[in-house]
Amino acid sequence: MKISKLRTGLTALCLAFFLLLSACTAAPPSEFDQAQRESTERGADAVSDDAVSGSSFNRFFPATTGNDDLVYTQEKTGFAQAKLIQSGEEVALLSISDVSSNPNAADKFTASTQSINNFPVVAEGNRGTAMLVANRFQVKIQSTENGLTEGDRLDWLQQFNLQGLAALAQ
Amino acid sequence: MSKTIFELVDELPEQNLTIRALKTLDFVVPGKWNNLVGFKNTIRTVTGETDEALIKTIGDRAVWLFNDKSEGYQRALWLYQTIDSTGTALGTAALANKIGEKVPLLGFMSKLTPKADKAQTLDLTLKLVVEVVAFCQINGIPGDSIGDFVKSLSNYGGESLMRMAALVSFDALIPLGPDFIQIVQTKLNSFGPKDLEDNSGFSQIKGMIPGKNTAAQLDFIGQSFDSTKSWMGGLVQKHNLTPGKVAGNLSSFIEGSDSKLDYLAAFLDMSTNYYEHTGIQTLARRLIERAAAEV
Repeated sequence: MKISKLRTGLTALCLAFFLLLSACTAAPPSEFDQAQRESTERGADAVSDDAVSGSSFNRFFPATTGNDDLVYTQEKTGFAQAKLIQSGEEVALLSISDVSSNPNAADKFTASTQSINNFPVVAEGNRGTAMLVANRFQVKIQSTENGLTEGDRLDWLQQFNLQGLAALAQ
Repeated sequence: MSKTIFELVDELPEQNLTIRALKTLDFVVPGKWNNLVGFKNTIRTVTGETDEALIKTIGDRAVWLFNDKSEGYQRALWLYQTIDSTGTALGTAALANKIGEKVPLLGFMSKLTPKADKAQTLDLTLKLVVEVVAFCQINGIPGDSIGDFVKSLSNYGGESLMRMAALVSFDALIPLGPDFIQIVQTKLNSFGPKDLEDNSGFSQIKGMIPGKNTAAQLDFIGQSFDSTKSWMGGLVQKHNLTPGKVAGNLSSFIEGSDSKLDYLAAFLDMSTNYYEHTGIQTLARRLIERAAAEV
């Protein structure tokens, strides 16, 4: 009887110790685990084979004058991004991306209530305004802290060569 | 398996010797670097977003972009990590408990070997080449675009500017003195392919340096230095940077730092990893800026 109790006690103790040990060694789960798993599966690509080259977007960015300047920061397949500098200070990031690489990005435009040249526009988050051109290219402006206002962003969106960009989708 | 991008950014230390050393350079980049750590915290800070669902969407897209090897972000990370991995032998064990107290340089002198000008020249110029190549990988431009890199230097900010300020201060001014530009140029001119091949840092990153053979790679290293030397000289002049000033600021936590500059350089080399630390911060920022634009 005593031996049996001792054995039960020891088993429980071992089990508890084992559980404690595995809890200590395993990395805590992250909300990004699923993206990590899916993006490292065989054949997973972040960028669609159909995406157009980033350099083909550059000529559709707004022209700058005076104290404004655009400094290109990334140019990858299906994506181009530039910093908008006003009087030496970075005020926003301007980008064009091909939604064929990330089709979910187009979903938010179904709820759009405003448009520029008939292309739907949505406000996004605290500092962003996005537009979908020809159901293919997302043009987005993200302000820095104390950077462009929402009104400024709408103005700058109109300064992209939207018709030229739409023609690229054909 | 190697670490995920969110683990790498989550595990960036808030305080250690690297951070303390970088903070002494705040006067070079006033208020431009605040040691941003943590993956979600970086998303919040870079984008200004507070909506948890949007932050999650941006983070997921950043993970996808990082894991796609053809996008170049992993190569940039590897470069920043590799160039910093050669000399951190003192980093972990001996200094783990030195977070809040002064480190006596004298106590480590027996473990330190100051580098000769030749080895230091290679350290400095290879770090510079890593910056050029990583910049090209992250930005998506051809790997030998020195001209684009030099143009962008004037727009460097945050952790990238801090990394360059540390390069000039800790890897040039302290070990080589105020005439480091002339010293490096003279040394580079005297080097042949064999000098590069004998260097362990070069052997590790050789495959990533533009050039069809070692002689062409040596030429690329020379061009990289030649194109950036006036920017470095300008930084020195603008902030009146001198070895004494940099070492004097470090003396706030490294005891005896202003007397033995060659040992101080060796100590910094062995105990800090500022290229890797700020490199991960740059990479995270660029990934998040792109992810936020694409979602």
